[in-house]
Amino acid sequence: MAAAPIRALLLTLLTSAVTAQQPPRHWAFVVPEKQVPAVRDDGWCRDELDRFVLAGLEARGLRPAPAAERELLLRRAHLVLTGLPPTPGDVTTFLADPAADAYERRVDALLASDACAEHLATPWLDLARFADTYGYQSDFECRTWPWRDWLIRSFADDKPWDRFVQELVAGDLLPDADVQTRTATAFWRLHRQTNEGGSIEAEWRHEYIADRVDTFGTAFLGLTVGCARCHDHKSDPISQRDYYSLGSFFAIDEAGLSPYSTGGIPQPTVRLATAAQQGEIRTLQRAVSAAEQRRDQALAAARAAAKEIAESSSGALAEAWRAAVEKPVAPAPIAHFPFDAIENGKSTDAREPSRQANVPAEVKPASGARGQALALDGDARVAIDGLPAFRREDAFSVQLWCWCPDTKERAVLLHTSHYTEDADTQGYQLLLTDGHLDWQLVHHWPGSAAAIRSKAPFPLGRWCQVVATYDGSARAVGLTLYLDGERVDTEIVRDHLQGPATVRKLELGGRDRDRGFAGGSIDEFALFDRCLDAAEVTLLAGRQPDATAYRDHLARGDETLRTAEAELRAARRALHDLVDAIPELMVMAAHRYPPARHVLRRGAYDQPDLAQPVSADVPAAVLPFAPQWPRDRLGLAEWLNSPRNPLTARVVVDRLWAQCFGRGLVGTPENFGTLGEPPQQQPLLDALAVDFAAQRSVRQLLRRIVCSATFRQSSRATPAQREANPHNTQLARGPSFRLSAEVLRDQALAASGLLHTHVGGPSAKPWQPPGLWRDAGVGWGGADYKPDDGPNARRRSLYTYRKRTAPPPNMTALDAPSREVCVARRQVTDTPLQALTFLNDPVFTECAAALASRVLAELPDGGLDGQLVRVFVALAARAPRDAELAALRTLCATAADRAQALTLAASTLMASDAVVVLR
Amino acid sequence: MNPQDLTALTRRAMLGRGSLGLGALAMRSLLPADDPSPRRPHFAPRARRVVYLFQAGGPSPFETFDPKPRLRELQGQDLPASVRGEQRLTGMSGNQSVLPLAGSFTGFRQHGRSGLWVSDLLPHTAKVADRLCVVRSMHTEAINHDPAITFFCSGSQISGRPSMGAWAAYGLGADSRDLPAFVVLVSKDAQRDQPLYARLWGSGFLPGEYQGVQFRPGSSPVLFLDNPQGVDGIARRAQLDALAALHRDQFAHEDDPAIAARQAQAELAFRMQASVPEVADLGSEPDEVFELYGEGARQPGTYAANCLLARRLLERGVRFVQLFHQGWDQHGGLPAGISRQCKQTDQASAALVHDLQRRGLLDDTLVVWGGEFGRTAYCQGKLTATDYGRDHHPRCFSIWLAGGGMRAGHAHGSTDDFGYNITEGAVHVHDLHATMLHLLGFDHEQLTWRFQGRDFRLTDVAGRVVRELLA
Repeated sequence: MAAAPIRALLLTLLTSAVTAQQPPRHWAFVVPEKQVPAVRDDGWCRDELDRFVLAGLEARGLRPAPAAERELLLRRAHLVLTGLPPTPGDVTTFLADPAADAYERRVDALLASDACAEHLATPWLDLARFADTYGYQSDFECRTWPWRDWLIRSFADDKPWDRFVQELVAGDLLPDADVQTRTATAFWRLHRQTNEGGSIEAEWRHEYIADRVDTFGTAFLGLTVGCARCHDHKSDPISQRDYYSLGSFFAIDEAGLSPYSTGGIPQPTVRLATAAQQGEIRTLQRAVSAAEQRRDQALAAARAAAKEIAESSSGALAEAWRAAVEKPVAPAPIAHFPFDAIENGKSTDAREPSRQANVPAEVKPASGARGQALALDGDARVAIDGLPAFRREDAFSVQLWCWCPDTKERAVLLHTSHYTEDADTQGYQLLLTDGHLDWQLVHHWPGSAAAIRSKAPFPLGRWCQVVATYDGSARAVGLTLYLDGERVDTEIVRDHLQGPATVRKLELGGRDRDRGFAGGSIDEFALFDRCLDAAEVTLLAGRQPDATAYRDHLARGDETLRTAEAELRAARRALHDLVDAIPELMVMAAHRYPPARHVLRRGAYDQPDLAQPVSADVPAAVLPFAPQWPRDRLGLAEWLNSPRNPLTARVVVDRLWAQCFGRGLVGTPENFGTLGEPPQQQPLLDALAVDFAAQRSVRQLLRRIVCSATFRQSSRATPAQREANPHNTQLARGPSFRLSAEVLRDQALAASGLLHTHVGGPSAKPWQPPGLWRDAGVGWGGADYKPDDGPNARRRSLYTYRKRTAPPPNMTALDAPSREVCVARRQVTDTPLQALTFLNDPVFTECAAALASRVLAELPDGGLDGQLVRVFVALAARAPRDAELAALRTLCATAADRAQALTLAASTLMASDAVVVLR
Repeated sequence: MNPQDLTALTRRAMLGRGSLGLGALAMRSLLPADDPSPRRPHFAPRARRVVYLFQAGGPSPFETFDPKPRLRELQGQDLPASVRGEQRLTGMSGNQSVLPLAGSFTGFRQHGRSGLWVSDLLPHTAKVADRLCVVRSMHTEAINHDPAITFFCSGSQISGRPSMGAWAAYGLGADSRDLPAFVVLVSKDAQRDQPLYARLWGSGFLPGEYQGVQFRPGSSPVLFLDNPQGVDGIARRAQLDALAALHRDQFAHEDDPAIAARQAQAELAFRMQASVPEVADLGSEPDEVFELYGEGARQPGTYAANCLLARRLLERGVRFVQLFHQGWDQHGGLPAGISRQCKQTDQASAALVHDLQRRGLLDDTLVVWGGEFGRTAYCQGKLTATDYGRDHHPRCFSIWLAGGGMRAGHAHGSTDDFGYNITEGAVHVHDLHATMLHLLGFDHEQLTWRFQGRDFRLTDVAGRVVRELLA
């Protein structure tokens, strides 16, 4: 009898023993600690980090390499800290400076320079998949450069890293959020977006969130989180549930497609108002509030006066009132289409005979609510041109009689947008959605719109009169729906109209590529240039309004009230004119109507696993989410910045190390997970991570690295040494790597004196071969590239305009990524196209010629050797060795004149190892 | 010129430095730095090179290779829900209240000994029918152009993956001393209805040397091929000699073999400056060749000229040539649109097959013709007596292959009477890729590249070699 429980107990014990014997946790998921090793040769070390390197070398019986020559070290420091070479003057000054801290002072000056901030920004542009176009299909231009400015400014200020992370992740949610911190969150909107016709919005909304999650994983955690999209991660402790939970932080109220025709910016956005503009906006907002108050007071006064007159028993005024109330007058529309006659596909406006509705043959006459109506097939539309295009401060109203045959999942009754589909919807519209009536004013659906929906389903199988009114307030409360004269109970669907709801044309019964009012009929379309009140709507429905409602209606004729209304409209118009002209930037904003989210089976947008709902959460295996953190991106930033987060600091440190050494301490900077290459210098990485987490200063960390004895080593190595340690993971020599695309071009521009050093602002268009955008077949976005004139064409390469589907060819040849996805490490290749670029790309040959002219101007009487030395120093930041000078001298002998000789020499050097490689 | 200097340097380095010799490094300069061993084929290849005639936009099978007479009988009737099943539609026709079936305006006939059905719009292709293996049962996943063409060209809708040409170049290496392994040609005479993207021939996470090099029409087909003004061939040679001398000294000083690799690339660039214009200059071709490919071939950059150029590139050892011809996206006005497309491409496509065959190259050259998806059996927009359009359709479409180990005069797979669903022999894009790699001698599951700690391949986690297509 007792045997079974004992067996169960044993089993439990055994199982727990197995659990306790789990393998040690993967290094990257353990919080880093700092343990400084002992070394024998203390004297070599300049920084604590050198002790880690030296301890490793001593353990292998190796010695560090001797120090690099001073001019090589100077070049190294300039290039890794600023991406620009030292000038010949810098070289001379430095070599002549005997002070013990000459190098450190130089380093401090470099770290404080704008050039350093620009250079630090560049790898973040790869992480941010930063470009100037949306990237899919037509690949239209999008405004992104304000984010780059924020990035550069952050590095220029050496913004504490936790604050940098906070702004980037949750700048819109911070208590001190402003235009700048909101701008930071554009990082999450820089993924590619499509505007391809026929795309399914819901699918793309999921794609964008997926991109944000992937980018979050790569940029902040160094993890391939995206692997968990379709199934639990095969090697890292990230479940599919974790993946979709993370995605919940990044769900925003977005359309899914970028607009094709409206030029609108995908919502949500921030208006990039200057401080002065912000002041102006506040002034105008106060003016609107004041005008609203005056209007409210005038309305109350007018109603009170009307009541008094109406209730006074005698007098001429009272008589006139009573007469008016007894014979109420229905409101007069500015356009009215009874559709009682259709001739040659046209039906005429009863108010303005020159205005006609186009009635296609598929739209058939039918018996209507009043006389004849139009029967619709769901595809054909009735278009009416020449109607007034209301602005969002204008009050207006619409009447339409409808006969609806069945419950419509979606049907367009009336719309005023120019083109198809939600992302291109602008203006006002009446829709049926899941059987309910929608009344909407839209700038960009859904992020910038005011919209209401009837709570009750729309009546079926009978004629009913729809009246939809709008009061010019740009708010959902300003929208009202009436059915058969009765106000309809509605709910607010969206209340965030932030831009013009531009009316293009008006169509009834459907929309191109949308679902129309199939099987339905419409009649008696009328448009009013004012917000009808309840009494007027009742009258339109053919009934008598009650006396109070009609009295209130008559009170609207009050002169003071009308003046107050006109002033309010003018105040709103002034505000809208100012705000609408301020450029927008795509940013993050809390979702006011967060949709339910689920794990998606196989990652497919239309396969939600309803048994697995998810909400905002993080992979607990990295660090559980603390209960005191808010479950939003602010909390996510807290999670990243927590000293217990094992990855954040390591990932940053590794990337900065790679900037100095050409290779991170982790061989796979995009993957710190179990399948990545573990760091061969983990104690070093961890110590730097611990220090960085405490100091939070990029500048201090860089200073430590470039001032270390490790960095100052010569990069020379014997073949045996290279063979023994090809990637220099032991750090027994100094850094040596081919410079990046940006640095190579910038170096040529700087050496030749052509570099234009303006910091920040819109992207620049340097020369590129004509016709590339067209020849690449890049479609309707299709205008060809127009290079900038003048100095703008010669700005640093991080400002170069990037069209994702046709990136700048010289950058591509030199391994710059296309910025379609987040990239943490560039491939470095060696191809003939690179040699062709150095020797033939006019961007480089122009620099060679300019450098030649410059040297000729500076040393007009110098001999060839002196001039060649100057060319060499300008490009390689060191004097040429004899053999090098001899090689250039031989080359120059083939040239027709000195200018050509020096140009050939400069051009050749630009392709040479001494210039292309950091040593 | 002093090439012997470099040779001497190379020899000295090889003799003096053993396995890490400069010569070896220079020779493997087209291989990725991290992976010095060339990839040997996994088994004997049937094809040594590929020419892919990509018809971008999605050619309609109903007017090309998959006759559906029943659709004419059902003209104007709504697509039965039972046929449509769960298929999602694009936002362009998905909201139509009816989906009227549209029969083809064009006739079909059987051709050659094989009796292959070919549309009357493709009379030249019909003449090489006995060489073709038509696959009527292709299917794909995406329904919009950008994701679909990205999927077809790289095996993934997610961008950032290497293109199929890059994978082939990675596997096969270069067969030419002075031309790139993967060349891309975009027709300039095409209707540009849907854009193309550099990513379609990009190398993704594979090293950049495997990316497709686009040859553009004109005397300077490759970007930055021409010397700058004032630099003639003699001056350029002098520059390269100076560069070699600089590199020799730098090597003596730094002892870094990468320096020799850099010099080797510069020398290859120099050779390309001669070889690329030579191959791109069609002037030496006899008149009968232009008669074969069509007079359009005399205009550089046309589809016809690109077909001829493709043959010249293949002859000189280029491994993968991919042509792109846009304009097959007939949402409306299909009869006129597809007639134009066929007229632009028919003769030259057939000529290329014929030309390769008579030169003995077809046996080990794989030719592929096709687009990124098919088109709907029903009409998008208004169906009239003379006009109609077709929306995108991923469930079935037709492509053809020829040469390099393919069955000839064969039609594989079939679709239902509506041309809406595959009834037999489904071939997924991954299957096609697997089959192409198989013909090139590679097991598609073994040709991998480690990235982010994972072994990636062209066929992702799927793909099957379609042996029924093989000769």
